[in-house]
Amino acid sequence: MKRLPRRDKLKIYGDLLSILYVEPKTEKIVLTRIQLKTNVPFDRLKTYLTELKQLGLITDDPAIHLTEKGKQYIKEYQNVLDFMKRMGLTYT
Amino acid sequence: MENAALIPVEIVSTILCFVLLRYMIRPYRLTREARYIGLPLGFGFLGVSYALMGFALYFESFLFVEEIKWLQLFNQAYAFAFLAVTYYFSKSSKSKNIRWNITYAGLVFGVAISYLVIFEPPMLGLPSYKTVDEYFRLFNILFLVYIFVHTMRSHLSKPEPKTFWIPLSYLLLAFGQYSSFIWSLETVFVANVGAQILRIAGLAVFVFVVYQTFFGSKQAFPKEGIWDEEAST
Repeated sequence: MKRLPRRDKLKIYGDLLSILYVEPKTEKIVLTRIQLKTNVPFDRLKTYLTELKQLGLITDDPAIHLTEKGKQYIKEYQNVLDFMKRMGLTYT
Repeated sequence: MENAALIPVEIVSTILCFVLLRYMIRPYRLTREARYIGLPLGFGFLGVSYALMGFALYFESFLFVEEIKWLQLFNQAYAFAFLAVTYYFSKSSKSKNIRWNITYAGLVFGVAISYLVIFEPPMLGLPSYKTVDEYFRLFNILFLVYIFVHTMRSHLSKPEPKTFWIPLSYLLLAFGQYSSFIWSLETVFVANVGAQILRIAGLAVFVFVVYQTFFGSKQAFPKEGIWDEEAST
């Protein structure tokens, strides 16, 4: 079985925020679905979500969604990753 | 007369490098990993080197013009060295961060020593500027070829049109250095003109890539609230 490379917090945050960004707004976000998409254990997912909330990147009122700051962050994150890819730099 | 024609090229190159610097710092700002600091440092040193050359060409009778030319030489070589080191460490594991920290520290130490040597030359004095310039051009070509090979391999591992431009820009810069080398050896004016054109073209390609990434109409980013498997994984 192919081993997935270890992700650091930045990458996990990025993946998590990207998933929350594209989640349909009309539906209630199911944590299990997020957990499957991000591939992190449930307890750690909850910790990450708390940390993201403390950073002001997401809010859970009334349901989990990205704040303006979170949307800006994820756009910058995706742009920089794309830039690094174009520059021939690998972010592992 | 020849020199006067080169001043605008140096000014344009300096501006392009400092524009690029603004964007080259973003990978470091996002990841806070020292291995990416070589990218802005590289373009920063490159910009300073072109500015110094422009200054030396404009103020030919300035008291420290020789020292300025030496500074330019060192700055340009360190610029390409910083870029090459960034590419060298970009694939290494994070656990080896001590290695990239030591390498960067060594380079910064080297810069400091070089500056000291220029303004406080050793007892025997510095060797001929022209000879050193030729050696430095060769080093620059080696660094640029290494970066070209690295970026080209990265492009070929997953060919996409958007990843093709950067190897091309490094190749143009390498040919620019080679042209300068030829000019330095045989004083062929065409080689000098070619070097300037290739350099501007190389830097322009970098600006194009930056524009495409940060201001391009089609960003690699999905619309909010729309599932896109590829974008999210």
